[in-house]
Amino acid sequence: MLTFTRRRLAAVALVAATALLGTTACGGGDEAASDGPITLTVDTFGQLGYADLYQEYMASHPDVKIVERGTGSNLDEYSPKLTQWLAAGKGAGDIVAIEEGLLVEYKANPQNFVNLLDHGAGELKGNFLDWKWNQGLTADGKQLIGLGTDVGGMAMCYRKDLFAKAGLPTDREAVSKLWPTWQDYIRVGEQFTAKKTGAAFLDAATNTFNTILLQNAGNTTGYSYYDTGNNLVVGSNPAVKQAYDTTMDIIDSGLSGKYGSWSEEWVSAFKQSKFATIACPAWMTGVIEGNAGPAAKGKWDIAQIPGNGGNWGGSFLAVPKQSKHQAEAIELAKFLTSAKGQIGAFKLKGPLPSSPQALADPAILDSKNAYFSEAPVGRIFAEGAKSLKPVYMGPKNQAVRTEVENAVRTVELGKRSPQQGWTDAVANAEKAAAK
Amino acid sequence: MNRLWSASRLTYLALTLSALLSIFPIYWMFVVASRTSDAMGQVPPPLTPGGNLGANIARLFDNTDAYFLTGLINSTIVAVTVTVSVVFFSTLAGFAFAKLRFRGRNALLLAIIATMMVPTQLGVIPLYLLMTKLNWNDRLPAVIVPALVTGFGVFMMRQYAGQAVSTELIEAARMDGCNTARIYWNVVLPALRPAAAVLGLLTFMTTWNDFLWPYAVLNDPENPTVQLSLRALSDGYYQDMSQVFTGTAIATLPLLLVFVVFGRQIIGGIMEGAVKA
Amino acid sequence: MAVQLDARPPVAPAPRHSRPVRGARLSRFDTKYSPYLYIAPFFLLFGVFGAYPLAYTFWVSLHDWDLLGAEHPFIGFDNYSQLLADPDFWHSVVNTLGIFVISTVPQLLAALWLANLLNRQLRARTTWRMAVLVPNVTSTAAVAIVFAVLFGRDFGMINWMLDHVGVSAIDWKANRFAAWVAISTMVDWRWTGYNALIFLAAMQAIPRDLYESASIDGAGRARQFWSITVPLLKPTIVFAVIISTIGGLQLFTEPRMFNSGTNAIRGGPLRESQTVTMYMFENAFAPHYNFGYGSAIAWLLFALIAIVAAINVLLLRRLGGGSRKEVSR
Repeated sequence: MLTFTRRRLAAVALVAATALLGTTACGGGDEAASDGPITLTVDTFGQLGYADLYQEYMASHPDVKIVERGTGSNLDEYSPKLTQWLAAGKGAGDIVAIEEGLLVEYKANPQNFVNLLDHGAGELKGNFLDWKWNQGLTADGKQLIGLGTDVGGMAMCYRKDLFAKAGLPTDREAVSKLWPTWQDYIRVGEQFTAKKTGAAFLDAATNTFNTILLQNAGNTTGYSYYDTGNNLVVGSNPAVKQAYDTTMDIIDSGLSGKYGSWSEEWVSAFKQSKFATIACPAWMTGVIEGNAGPAAKGKWDIAQIPGNGGNWGGSFLAVPKQSKHQAEAIELAKFLTSAKGQIGAFKLKGPLPSSPQALADPAILDSKNAYFSEAPVGRIFAEGAKSLKPVYMGPKNQAVRTEVENAVRTVELGKRSPQQGWTDAVANAEKAAAK
Repeated sequence: MNRLWSASRLTYLALTLSALLSIFPIYWMFVVASRTSDAMGQVPPPLTPGGNLGANIARLFDNTDAYFLTGLINSTIVAVTVTVSVVFFSTLAGFAFAKLRFRGRNALLLAIIATMMVPTQLGVIPLYLLMTKLNWNDRLPAVIVPALVTGFGVFMMRQYAGQAVSTELIEAARMDGCNTARIYWNVVLPALRPAAAVLGLLTFMTTWNDFLWPYAVLNDPENPTVQLSLRALSDGYYQDMSQVFTGTAIATLPLLLVFVVFGRQIIGGIMEGAVKA
Repeated sequence: MAVQLDARPPVAPAPRHSRPVRGARLSRFDTKYSPYLYIAPFFLLFGVFGAYPLAYTFWVSLHDWDLLGAEHPFIGFDNYSQLLADPDFWHSVVNTLGIFVISTVPQLLAALWLANLLNRQLRARTTWRMAVLVPNVTSTAAVAIVFAVLFGRDFGMINWMLDHVGVSAIDWKANRFAAWVAISTMVDWRWTGYNALIFLAAMQAIPRDLYESASIDGAGRARQFWSITVPLLKPTIVFAVIISTIGGLQLFTEPRMFNSGTNAIRGGPLRESQTVTMYMFENAFAPHYNFGYGSAIAWLLFALIAIVAAINVLLLRRLGGGSRKEVSR
């Protein structure tokens, strides 16, 4: 039996109380300005690949200590936290990463962020692709919310071993030639499936849908779910419907492994080699390596994406007004988004630079990825990046995207017919946008 | 008289099956935790432990994204503080309700029983606003302070004090000039010890397991409870399932240890509580 | 806290006068007011962090309260009327009730059966009891992750076993009923042993001679169980049902962790396993941050719990009343 002697009880209470006082310090921007080194907190999701850059920066700035939070977290988990911190007026890091699909949402409250134009960022314009720079500006062009980090130029990652098993070519040039269009991709998929390798042709229809949509939108209207006047156009934008229809063809041909993206089944499917291709924005290469693990090293390779170009994802670094070290944070953000910083990040984790100088740099162009069979990732991604056509994202882009992807998923799982799925997509998107 | 039915072979067989069902998921958690991440999704599924547990633990604590060690420390702080507080306030109030006479006693006791029926979890939204005002968001007091008292604890201690604390002893102490606080400390608390220990163990486990409220209010990825670091591990951009399972195993281990050591008392407490309620 | 108490009893006010009557006066003060002091912490803390938030939830629910918005205009019962017409809300209600029913009924029956097994002359009595209780002392989130993997569509052990007996793979997450079953399994796994011990305690309190006279009357064991044990266990069963009602209708951790990936808080693409609490969370926090709407959901859930608890009690009273007559006959 527990014997709570008086002394022991008191001791426990005392220990608990001191421990409590000792560990309640908050991470972000909470330290009072003092003479000692200051700590800059960087809030991120996924893998921005800054670890080496921090070391370098801290070496040249002995008064600065950098802490990164949220590395490897899911965007669905990260962005609500950021929203809550901004609403509470405290808790956010000194630098926060913002994904392009959510940027418009945050731009709606520009007072939450430091105007980088007031801090000499204007002269950096030439360091970024024009559209990337413009995305960071508010609608009136007077405030710069964020400096661009990466862009999501696209490719198609594939498993060489599974392709060989299905009697398909494995060389990346030859594979690229197999699928100039998505219809070609479907045809190849049908050949692959007919060979019964035990693997599906692709991971999930939602990922492919997103890719096709962003390509279509970039090549035609320049916007996807919202037009540039922030009107919801899910039901009327031909780019959306066309992407949906192509995705339905893919589902119809039985090419999808139906693994819900980012779920633990999806992760296991990587491990067990259960699909042969996955639409692959530059940042996805890091995800594949992490999920498939060392055992699959050298089995993956990278070919061109069917269709034409397209950009999926990419982020910005912003400095919240609540930061107590704004000047230092801005300096660091400029460093991380400089051409040099972007090259460093690319080398570590693969996010594709948004700086034209970086994209033209031999360090990028000549870089190869050992995990992906020494594929010349720099050339593959960088070549397309300069001609990338941006897609405008509206205020509730993320919520709407969730609804439309869900509709695609219900068809993929056989719960809805393509027509029903489309009706659902439009109706639910409208509901989510109105919330 | 009080003779029980005898147990047949069939009884033992049925009990063995139930016990296996009970234990298997826990066992399997440790199996996966002791293997490499390739164990996930293997057919047939592995059923025996591998030799990778040490490596997995090392990697888990090295994983700078999950803050698992911080989570463990935080959860310990939260659970210990809450447990001490709940036991203290519950024995105090339970003693008052069982042994002291004061106006409004029955009405107030009824109020406490009523609070047991109230799903306080539904108050998360104002609680969140309140914590923002108090500047406790992302900090441990946000999950500690609201849990410092429970109606269940008060009620349980009141039921127990009613029979375990002798009124004569209290009166004798009063005659000796003890004030009420002394009586609580010298007479009541020692008598309540067994039940207080059970309450403490149950409170510890509940607090350790709490998920919804920490999930809402602790957003700083560097300052999670252990349940939140588990969620971070299993919802990451990419997941290493052997690491996730190592995390689940370690998060479960303290509870299992408490249970192995104090299992008899916990069972006694649950069963006694049942008869009295 | 304990330290302070040790040093100076909380009931003793700081001495102001040093007159001989002080002792007596203090003691009168002590007996009269110290009980309030002892129960005050509970009421104070519960008031601030339990009752007040719940009441304030109602206030918030009458407003258009966006976390990010600066203004919170009063809109009366608009949130409620919108909610009553919201198919997703009703969908989550059906899910919650569905999971509740298919978890609670088998759980209580299994617990009764298990209690009946434990209520015998057993060797290693405590070990058996511990073995059935052990699921209850595991970490909920941890176990939910484990079950989510066991119930995987392509790589889960349960589908693998079903495959051996010729059942083709079940998509536990995308099939609404299957998802209910999987989540109920998790709940039952955790709570059956606990309830069994509660029932066992109540069974042990039943006087043996009742059974003896019944067996003299020729009642078999099964009949004794249903016509003596179960009716006499009625108060305990009511207690267990109410506790599982309150817990079961607020279910969150299990379904939340059962779903992973992009639809976790929605409980699947078609909200297959989204409970009301999850729906509340989805609306009050990410991605909508609509505190007003979320609060309205909380209050309707509160009402739902009260209604279901009342129905349970009425139903059980009916049931129990019928069999009790049989006993007295």
